[in-house]
Amino acid sequence: MDALFQGMAAALSVGTVAAVATGVVAGLVFSAIPGLTFSVALALIMPFTFGMDPIPAMALLLGVYSGGMTGGAVSAILLGIPGTPSAAATVLDGHPMARRGDASFALGASVISSAFGGLFSLVVMMLLLEQVADVAIRFGPAEIFALVLFGLSTICGLADKSMVRGLIAGVLGLMVMTIGLDELDGVGRLTFGSIQLQQGVNMLVAMIALFAVPQVISTFVDHGRVERPAITERVRAVFPWRRVAGCWSLLLRSSAIGTVIGSIPGTGGPIASFLAYDHARRFSRRPAEFGTGTIEGVVAPEASNNAVMGGALIPVLSLGIPGDPATAVILGGLLVHGLQPGPMLFQTRLDVIYALYMAIAVSWVIILLVQLVGIRLFVRVLRVPPHVLGVCILVLCGIGSYVIRNAIFDVYLMAIIGLLGYGLQRMRIPLAPVVLGLVLGPTLEQQYRTALILSEGSHQIFFESGVAMVFFALTLLTIGWQVWSSLRTPTEPKPEVT
Amino acid sequence: MRLDRLDRWLGPSLTLLALVWLWLVYAYIPGARFEGEPGPRAFPVLLGTVLAGLGVVMMLQSLVSARRDREPGETPSLGGREVGLAAGTFGLLILYAFLLERIGFVSATPVVTALAMYGLAKVRRWVLLGSIAVGITFGCWVIFDVLLGTPLPRGSWVIWP
Repeated sequence: MDALFQGMAAALSVGTVAAVATGVVAGLVFSAIPGLTFSVALALIMPFTFGMDPIPAMALLLGVYSGGMTGGAVSAILLGIPGTPSAAATVLDGHPMARRGDASFALGASVISSAFGGLFSLVVMMLLLEQVADVAIRFGPAEIFALVLFGLSTICGLADKSMVRGLIAGVLGLMVMTIGLDELDGVGRLTFGSIQLQQGVNMLVAMIALFAVPQVISTFVDHGRVERPAITERVRAVFPWRRVAGCWSLLLRSSAIGTVIGSIPGTGGPIASFLAYDHARRFSRRPAEFGTGTIEGVVAPEASNNAVMGGALIPVLSLGIPGDPATAVILGGLLVHGLQPGPMLFQTRLDVIYALYMAIAVSWVIILLVQLVGIRLFVRVLRVPPHVLGVCILVLCGIGSYVIRNAIFDVYLMAIIGLLGYGLQRMRIPLAPVVLGLVLGPTLEQQYRTALILSEGSHQIFFESGVAMVFFALTLLTIGWQVWSSLRTPTEPKPEVT
Repeated sequence: MRLDRLDRWLGPSLTLLALVWLWLVYAYIPGARFEGEPGPRAFPVLLGTVLAGLGVVMMLQSLVSARRDREPGETPSLGGREVGLAAGTFGLLILYAFLLERIGFVSATPVVTALAMYGLAKVRRWVLLGSIAVGITFGCWVIFDVLLGTPLPRGSWVIWP
């Protein structure tokens, strides 16, 4: 009890709250701008924490994390460009909502869902930390491969009109991500001796290219041909509490998906958000409306990708295992401030643990307050005429692609991939599965090969794992269901998800 | 063009692309070094094979649907204006990358913005065009360089004091 009160006192002190607020704003800004991610913000802010006390320092970093997970939805909804890879699924329905005048509604729904997902995973972290860590540590390469394969099966649902086109798109995305230096063997794959290509295609560069460039070209094509004034934003309450509360069951399920995915090292927000999106679509009464601007298409991925935060912190705090670059920086912060993760931390510094929990809860309150003002400002972007906004987005694509790795090569790559993406779109090949292939490809291959190395080439390793078999079965069920549904349904044109 | 007619050439094109991919993979990526390890070539080979198969499936599907005489529905078409705008956008992005490297962000951005406003967005009011070009440049500089501290290209042709 003493530790709880000490932790609360530390977390609610002026200095700590100020640190959380600073972190939240920094995370929001970084992740709202395409090309910058909150991982970059964490890395930049980390040195500033060296002179701080442990609790305000960790509160600052956690504020960046939670703000960053939310901010990606801002550009995803307003501009159709995900600010972070985790917000890629939010584009699918969030941006169509903005284009029909419901941007503030979409942003408000995303903030509420994000806060719910974040707080849900925080509660799970507080109550079930040991149990979840125990399960997560059992996920080896075979289990993670099966999980990611299941995630890839959602491609079938992202291309409603033609599964063949969806699969082609997914394979193309997977192929792009094989280019570069092979992580396991250290050999160049289709690099043709180019040093720049050895770094491979950066996932965020490809996402910016695929989401933004085709959209910008379409904007210029429509301009002059179709008289389209700037979008008139409908006046709505900023936070649509009731409407989102109506999706309470979906919120719970998506948050659970995100928490579980986040607790498994090597997965993360993008996988969780696409799985949740597909889950929402699959169990919706109106699946055909997904991709046209449904609130469920925003609620599910945003709840899920923010629930990843609490899940991801479970292996970090309990085992000292980071699951992604962001949690690796968080782990670094813990070590720099003399906090060794593991069972001893929970025994000797329980006050710090409680303070961190409180800091995360405070961060969500601050996010809600900041967004209350922020949303009203953000949606003013949509008053800009589309053709002018298109030029702004074009410049942002160029600069955003450059700042990821400080490489001009990435700007050239973004242009090429963007043009190819436009071509694919015109050939009715959907781009969402391409993005899914980009996101999941590296993990899929790496885990597959690692599993085979461990088993000395025997595929038996996949069949010996009960967890892996469950995910394989789910994958087959998903694909089978989709095939059966498409054979059953008459050949009416359905809205295509692109 | 009907969708099934599009697929009739798209399918074989994708299969051809897959075959070229497979050739490149076998030519430039070494196989596994140890027994039991799939090696760096395995995954790209698998993907190429799957893509080749999907291309064939697409072509077969188009032949079957052509026989059934299905209603064409919405069919893709590409006009000259659209091709021009796509090429123009691509060209501007390439030019932007070229200029960023040589003359830096501060000079390249207003030039490319002005060209985009004039050539793609068809803005002909020079005051508006100039204001937007300068405004976007200044805004991006403030956000990226001043507030966030992320380095922007300075240009290899520019001598900075």
